[in-house]
Amino acid sequence: MPPSLASRIKTLLGISTAPTLTAEELQHLFTTKYRCFRELLTANNNALEAMADLEAALHDGRTFSMGFVRSKSTVVTVNIYKMVQNLRRLADGGYANLDQSFTRIQQRIDAIIDKEITLPEGEWIIPMTGVNRSLAELTGEKMANLGEAGSLPGIEIPAGFAITSAASRQFYLDNNMYREINRIFQQTDARDMEDMLQKSQEVRQLILESSLPAELEQGLYQHFDQLAEEVGPGVKLAVRSSALGEDLARASFAGLYHTELFVERKDLLTAYKAVLASKYSPQAMSYRLAKGFRHEDIVMCVGCLAMIPATISGICYSQSLSGPPGTLDIFFADGLAKGIVDGTRKTDHSLIARQPPHALVEAASDKQRDTTILSQQQAGALAAISMRLEDHFGSPQDIEWSIDETGKIYVLQSRPISIDLFTAAGEPSPVPPDERVLLQGGVTGCRGVGSGPVTVVRTQEDMVHFPRKSVLVVEHPLPEWAPLLKRAVAMVAETGSEAGHLATLSREFGLPSLLALDQATTSLAKGEIVTVDAGNRVIYRGCIDELLEASSGTKPDNPMQGSPVQQILRDALALITPLTLTDPDSVYFRASHCTTMHDITRFCHEKSVIEMFDFGRRYRFAKGAAKRLVDNMPLEWWVINLSDGFSPAFDASAQFININDIVSSPMLALWKGMHAFPWQGPPAVSMRGMGAIVFQSAMNPALDPAVSSKLNQKNYFLVSRNYCNLSVRLGYHYAMIEAYISSLRTERYVTFRFKGGAADETRRVGRIALLDEILTRFNFRVERSGDAITARVEKRTQKFLFSRLQVLGYLTIHTRQIDMVMADDRERQRYRHKFIAEIEEMLGDDK
Amino acid sequence: MINKRNFRLDAALKIHLLLVDDEPDFQEIIHKRMTRMGVRLSLANCCRAALQSLETQPADVIIMDVSMPEVDGIACLKKVKQRWPMVEVIILTGHASVKSGIEGMQSGAFDYCLKPIDVLELLEKVELAAQKALINQGK
Repeated sequence: MPPSLASRIKTLLGISTAPTLTAEELQHLFTTKYRCFRELLTANNNALEAMADLEAALHDGRTFSMGFVRSKSTVVTVNIYKMVQNLRRLADGGYANLDQSFTRIQQRIDAIIDKEITLPEGEWIIPMTGVNRSLAELTGEKMANLGEAGSLPGIEIPAGFAITSAASRQFYLDNNMYREINRIFQQTDARDMEDMLQKSQEVRQLILESSLPAELEQGLYQHFDQLAEEVGPGVKLAVRSSALGEDLARASFAGLYHTELFVERKDLLTAYKAVLASKYSPQAMSYRLAKGFRHEDIVMCVGCLAMIPATISGICYSQSLSGPPGTLDIFFADGLAKGIVDGTRKTDHSLIARQPPHALVEAASDKQRDTTILSQQQAGALAAISMRLEDHFGSPQDIEWSIDETGKIYVLQSRPISIDLFTAAGEPSPVPPDERVLLQGGVTGCRGVGSGPVTVVRTQEDMVHFPRKSVLVVEHPLPEWAPLLKRAVAMVAETGSEAGHLATLSREFGLPSLLALDQATTSLAKGEIVTVDAGNRVIYRGCIDELLEASSGTKPDNPMQGSPVQQILRDALALITPLTLTDPDSVYFRASHCTTMHDITRFCHEKSVIEMFDFGRRYRFAKGAAKRLVDNMPLEWWVINLSDGFSPAFDASAQFININDIVSSPMLALWKGMHAFPWQGPPAVSMRGMGAIVFQSAMNPALDPAVSSKLNQKNYFLVSRNYCNLSVRLGYHYAMIEAYISSLRTERYVTFRFKGGAADETRRVGRIALLDEILTRFNFRVERSGDAITARVEKRTQKFLFSRLQVLGYLTIHTRQIDMVMADDRERQRYRHKFIAEIEEMLGDDK
Repeated sequence: MINKRNFRLDAALKIHLLLVDDEPDFQEIIHKRMTRMGVRLSLANCCRAALQSLETQPADVIIMDVSMPEVDGIACLKKVKQRWPMVEVIILTGHASVKSGIEGMQSGAFDYCLKPIDVLELLEKVELAAQKALINQGK
């Protein structure tokens, strides 16, 4: 039925047209609305807290996981959804536009955080002869580079095939594993090493126990058989990872994934799954966390290559890390390359000229072996191959190779290296050798200086108990120690070379590392404080401050810098935390203008207070109507009882109320602070100061107390037993204090907002600075913006929060109009001392 | 820990709670903690059992896990709210996503809790849900 003319006129005149309800109905309606109001406030606190956590994670430079981003963003959106629903209930279904604004923002956040995983299209298995750079999305970087290298004249690669990202995606989707793995990760505390080891085991088990698509199984056997025809019966495979996103210069993922060697036909499927599962090895998980990669974005492709019966294997760096310019490194040992990259083998090193004819610049380090293992001719051939690969790929390369018994050289891998990571740390000035020198020698993995107690790690158990900020000492620099690189201050290993995986990772994390230092695990005593100067290859007893100072300031960037997870958080936060709706009096303060989640909280909070404030008037609810408080201050105080804020003995029909009849504990605390010291009236102002204030009033009618607005005629307390909201205009000033203090810790808070004031900008800002200083001193979290200030304390003990309400009560009365004297620095200091002294006296032991 | 965050359960002591979760270990922990705090609690390990339990013994507040075999928590929530609109439901999930969170709330959940559960946080949510349930019932 359309509203009658009479009711429309009434609405236009602002007269309530709500149906007349019985006292019981009104009481119930009020209780329901008050409940909504409180739920809204609790949701507001929870949302703001989660927002603060997200911001802190981004700005503190600490490591955070995708699970953290997802959980906290969910907490933010769910709570803001609750705010919207509760406001709409409070407003009898009003603010319909708010739903639309919320949904619009929420969907955009959702699209950022839960980006759909796209299934790459293409073959599941591709022979290496058909692999090149253009297939990187399918075969992973490592196999794409290798296939491309194999197509270059004069470069041999092993025969084999690549199992693509399309295959592994299908395997994951068929077994619904993304969801299950995310579920496990949400419940993992990545900082708890033991928990991470356990969850890693759980996820790997899940992968190993899942079935491959039948078509993939058949395809794998077919390709194996074809390879056996090509290479010869008895062929065995090296099954190795080639993840998408791997082998980038600054995120090498070096050695973090599993490689299975000598794989026979019967073990092919298990070996494939074992490589897939190694994506969730503890070292890979902690590396992704530290570097900010989503596990969903790392797709495991796998290369199956015929094993080369190697007599010599090694690594070439087409541009030497530690040698002079114009040289390249060759690291080598007899047999397979595995022992070199995982640092367990004694490795020889030659420096060769980059220019043909690739002369030997410096011979192998081990004189006894001399050049009997790697001939001059082989070294020259390796150098030529390295330079050809550098030319082709356009940047210095890290090349893994093997030479078989016929002398044929095979390239097993070629990936970019980042030279600047090695040189960035700079060279500390050497300290003359003295009695503090404990050990000397070895090779530098990453330059820099670190000092701390020695911790020798031999087992996984040692790893779990590794104390942060200690010096990691190991026998072999195995990739499985990678999770400790972020916790250690330096690393020392008895074996290995700068070409090993862990040495590469130490450079990415900027962790000083010293390798091939004989007897390190036995000469360095557990718990002893040492200083490792990796660049100069010296370990000192004790903490050498001058060395630490000399090398400070060369700390590497946050490893998460520019990473996908950091970018996701940054993009999501852009829709969550900025506050664009700041002025409730502006015409733009509308639901449809909310562009961020923070805007919605602000809007809901502001409007909910007004809705509650209007309740008594709208429904002409006798119990909720304002009572004038009997007081001797020259101000009008009115109190509205929201539910149980008055004593049961109070006569609800009375027009006046005494403070003794109020049982709202937050209001009583506030009142106590207001009356702790008598107000001495506004300070004396020079004529010039008064002139400025009068001028400001003339320019801005909103500051003129004679101009009425909804909240400025009287000062209102809205109260219940646990809640108090005070809107106060003292002279020119507008302040709002709100508190909810109950036995539920998460619901407790005290907030204070202060804005406006006459006088020019300098004076107003001066007063805000003074308030900021005092509130911060008394443990408030303060935010300032121009001449507005917001201060909060929450989730503390009840006693503490009551004492802070007293502080606010005091300030509300005693900072009235002091901006008139704020231009005078001496006066400001005088007030500061007076306020702090009086507040401390008032609080007594509760400071 | 309980001392640091001590708070009074009030409404939660006046209501009847139903926990719907298919993990026996989790059920046991919550059952132990809730009963020790004086909360009356029934258990169900799937949606069907939950609906049966509600027929014979009405609950005021339900804690429901999202991932359950057969009927998932959100579908179960919808069934419950259709039949017993006054019941308040707290959703638990091990796999948070903005979308699923909002879907749960739109389906009528009172609140949303992420696993691993902080038992005290869950108790606080139960207390708030109980307060609302009592108001719903005009108590």
